[in-house]
Amino acid sequence: MLKMDNVTKIYRMGMVETRALRDFSLEVEEGEFVTITGPSGSGKTTFLNVSGLLDAFEQGHYWLDGMDVSRLSDREMSRVRNEKIGFIFQSFNLIPDLDVFDNVDVPLRYRRLGARERKERIERAVAQVGLSSRLRHLPSQLSGGQQQRVAIARVLAGDPKLILADEPTGNLDSGMAREIMDILEQVNESGTTIIMVTHNPEHAARAHRQLHIADGRMVDLERIAPFPLNRPESRQAAS
Amino acid sequence: MLLYNLRLAWKSVRRHPVLSTLIVLGIALGVGVSTTFITAYHVLASDPVPGKSGVLHYVRMNSWGLPDSPFRDGPPPQLAYRDVREILKSGVPARSTASFPSRMTVFPPNAKEQPFRESVRLITSDFFPMFNVPFRYGGPWDRSADAKPEAVAVISSALNDRLFGGRNGVGRTFRLDDRDFRVVGVLDRWRPRVRAYDMVVDPLGEPEAVFVPLEWAGPMEVSPTGSQSTWRSPEPGEEDLPFIDRLVLGEVLFIQLWVELPDQARVAAFESYLDSYVAEQKKLGRFPNKPDNRVTPVLDLMTELRVVPPQTKALAAISLLFLVVAALNLIGLFLGKFLARASIVGVRRALGASRWTIFVQHLVECELMGLVGGSLGVLLSLGGLAILNRVYGDGPDGVAFFQLDVPMVFAAIALSLAAGAIAGIYPAWRICAIPPARHLKNQ
Amino acid sequence: MEFGPIFRSLLRNRARVVVIVAEVALTLAIVANCMSLILDTRAQLARESGFDDDHMVLVRSNPFAESLNEEEVLNQLVDSDLRTLRALPGVRAVSNTSLEPWGQGGSITSVRLPGTRGEPLRAQFYSADPSIFDTLGIRVVQGRGFTREELEHGADAGPTETLPVVISKTLADVAFPDGKAVGRELAFADESQRLLVVGLIDRFYKPLGAAADRVMLTPGRTVGFDYGSSYLVRTEGDPGAMIPRMEKALLGAEKGRFLRLRTVPEMREEFHGRDRLLVASLNGVMALLVLVTSLGIVGLTSFSVAERRRQIGTRRALGADKGDIVRHFLLENWMVTSLGVVLGAALAYALNFGMVTWVSGARLSVPVVAVGALGLWLIGIASALGPALRGAQVPPAIATRNV
Repeated sequence: MLKMDNVTKIYRMGMVETRALRDFSLEVEEGEFVTITGPSGSGKTTFLNVSGLLDAFEQGHYWLDGMDVSRLSDREMSRVRNEKIGFIFQSFNLIPDLDVFDNVDVPLRYRRLGARERKERIERAVAQVGLSSRLRHLPSQLSGGQQQRVAIARVLAGDPKLILADEPTGNLDSGMAREIMDILEQVNESGTTIIMVTHNPEHAARAHRQLHIADGRMVDLERIAPFPLNRPESRQAAS
Repeated sequence: MLLYNLRLAWKSVRRHPVLSTLIVLGIALGVGVSTTFITAYHVLASDPVPGKSGVLHYVRMNSWGLPDSPFRDGPPPQLAYRDVREILKSGVPARSTASFPSRMTVFPPNAKEQPFRESVRLITSDFFPMFNVPFRYGGPWDRSADAKPEAVAVISSALNDRLFGGRNGVGRTFRLDDRDFRVVGVLDRWRPRVRAYDMVVDPLGEPEAVFVPLEWAGPMEVSPTGSQSTWRSPEPGEEDLPFIDRLVLGEVLFIQLWVELPDQARVAAFESYLDSYVAEQKKLGRFPNKPDNRVTPVLDLMTELRVVPPQTKALAAISLLFLVVAALNLIGLFLGKFLARASIVGVRRALGASRWTIFVQHLVECELMGLVGGSLGVLLSLGGLAILNRVYGDGPDGVAFFQLDVPMVFAAIALSLAAGAIAGIYPAWRICAIPPARHLKNQ
Repeated sequence: MEFGPIFRSLLRNRARVVVIVAEVALTLAIVANCMSLILDTRAQLARESGFDDDHMVLVRSNPFAESLNEEEVLNQLVDSDLRTLRALPGVRAVSNTSLEPWGQGGSITSVRLPGTRGEPLRAQFYSADPSIFDTLGIRVVQGRGFTREELEHGADAGPTETLPVVISKTLADVAFPDGKAVGRELAFADESQRLLVVGLIDRFYKPLGAAADRVMLTPGRTVGFDYGSSYLVRTEGDPGAMIPRMEKALLGAEKGRFLRLRTVPEMREEFHGRDRLLVASLNGVMALLVLVTSLGIVGLTSFSVAERRRQIGTRRALGADKGDIVRHFLLENWMVTSLGVVLGAALAYALNFGMVTWVSGARLSVPVVAVGALGLWLIGIASALGPALRGAQVPPAIATRNV
């Protein structure tokens, strides 16, 4: 599903060069649930940015879902992000002026889908995270856990191949955090690949594979659970 | 607390020099434009005879001898010689004066100098106290001089300089057209913006250079240079009569009559006097139309005759709206300025400052910039007024027609504070409404 | 296009929307009214007199020497002045007349058809000599001008004699709607004297009360010791350049008088002075207003874009490309500006009503409001372009930065 080969990301500040990712290589199978841990400054965020095509990289190669996405233009990267990737952020990143419906709607608009199809997808995704009764609420009217669920719905509505989650439970209390993890597990069970950055070892352990980043390099910790390579029957019906 | 807030405001200005400069310039522009046009309106619309505008009344009657007069909205604006004479003689009002303008040739005492033409006004002596005319040397002639008439004159400061080298000209003589006049008074520099005594012909014009008794009109065969209206053509044989008789018979309306009536009772008394005068004249075959006597106070007459050009009012109104728009447009700049330091505000709030304190602190900053911008705006308005003055003309002594006076400076200050408030209230409210915690975590 | 979500998000940002809408609406209201006043005033300023203004000089002569205080002497002086002026090279025509194009003063009289009652007609009334038409540069289109005999006789005319007059076509059309004016008679409103129409001119405009384009010219000398006399001189070239020579020649002929020579263009400038100032002031205020408002929109939009950096990053992360971001902000701005323009049009009419009723102004016409609305609409959108483009540059990676 995802293959990074000796990817190097360099930040230049004046005369100083920082290699945030050094010769970073990673392979993730379709349907895998991978967690990534690491200390501050280890390159976790950079990895997310690169793998999510939020940022370009200098050296190496990156294949995503069979496509070489190493040197894409801004517009092409946007399209791939929109169609293949879904993001879940630590601080939810919901748009405060929009209600739940409109928030989930945002990525669908960029895909130029028709109004009826968008409505169906949104309502389905919001139902999936259990917030159908809050369709017209604003983020300010929701708890942290509910907001993150909306963010997940936003991802689900687009039916991506890969979900990148950046400390999705970092701003939540343990009760809500567990709920979110349950939802993520469910989503993964239906066939979506998930790569999650986290600090929480309990959550990290729920993955198929734990990886560790240090100094911009990958350290493979252990395979936790056996992971079958093909699970077509649990793919969600998607377009 | 105010001083503290002012210090904070100053520090904030220094930290964002570009934004602050733009804000100040924006306010300066708004205040400058509005002060310019409001001052222009104020100069033209303010009371032209402070202290006397309540007691001075302008007299009009409808002596028009034909059924259709060219005056749509009321009686003719001026009176005929014979009617004015009668009313002046009657002694009913405490003070009264009638006048009309002309132009005559002045022959300087030094025969070698070239004669020149000057504007002259023929008046009665009450004119001077009624219109608060300021004297430098000497004073008005007395009423007996009006009756004869005596060859006395009051001259302007500029004319005095020209004829007598600036020294006291009282007692000296000069020739006006065909006879000599003795100077009894020299006026101070006098340039009222609105000449209350001549609102019909040229209210914004300059005062005349020479004032002589009204009764000289006949003996000197003076032709008025103001406006004249008549409904009556001369009859055969009239051309050969003496000028003064022609004046009386002629029914030409060319004189403006003002009376001083200190209270309402005397106004009523004068009005009934006019009514009986008109009734008498009707019996003599004059005043054929419906009586329409008007006794109008100064300020009402100003409004009725539209002495203040309507465009001046329009520009004043538009410029005030301009100020509002200019201030609105500064809201974005203030927002940018305030919210850039939201974290500092967060700290202050965490340290115990209430929302009101923060609001006041920022409002002080807005008003400080308002005042700074306003001062700059006042300077701009001086430039604007200078441009207006080029068209309206300076006075003979170089005193500009439009000038900023104390009330207008206060108005400018009020406008600056208003602009600061309009531009700043919403941003100040925004910054103080933010919960302290939000910006404390800012990275 | 995401009208729905943008509209709903605008509803939650009421303060910012209200400010921009108020800015645009007020600006349109003021600009439309200013424009209206300007057009109205300029229409008046543009009216032509119909004369050859650019080549005319007005000469006023006021005698002061006692030797001149005699009718015959003054008459001879007028004739001599006319000869002196005509003899100067560069002078095309001279006329002795009381008509002062673009002067502050003038005279109006009332006339009627003899024997009729009712409202008299008002017209300007001036004396002139036969060369007035050449001097003004107008033609007598029907009938004839004046003869020398009529001019000479003018001074001795009795008060009840019929005066010959040349009138303007506008007056003729009102007095004689059947089109036959020449040869007919008018009378002064008090029926004291008759006026025989001998000719018509088709061009005349001198702003004076309600009779700006109606005139009656009668042959006669304009002369007197008190009022002096005036001459209109038509020159070949630049009239200003001729003035010193004319003054010298006239003073050379007679020193006991004051002369004032002004070019007609100069008089027109002075006559229009206040109106021109008004137009200039209005133009200035309008330009400043538009500038200030567009800067204000730029400022507020920049601020609101900067405030939403995180949101922009998130949208980008969700798949928006730069074009989508620009379109989003432009669309948002378009909606607000459009609302402002619609309100502004309504406000313009309200303001106009207020101005016309209590202050002064010209009625608004639809084209003025439409042009103003379109212009402001374009400016509003253009002002948002810069901040929108800057917003599009926000990198997607901002979304993953931690708060």
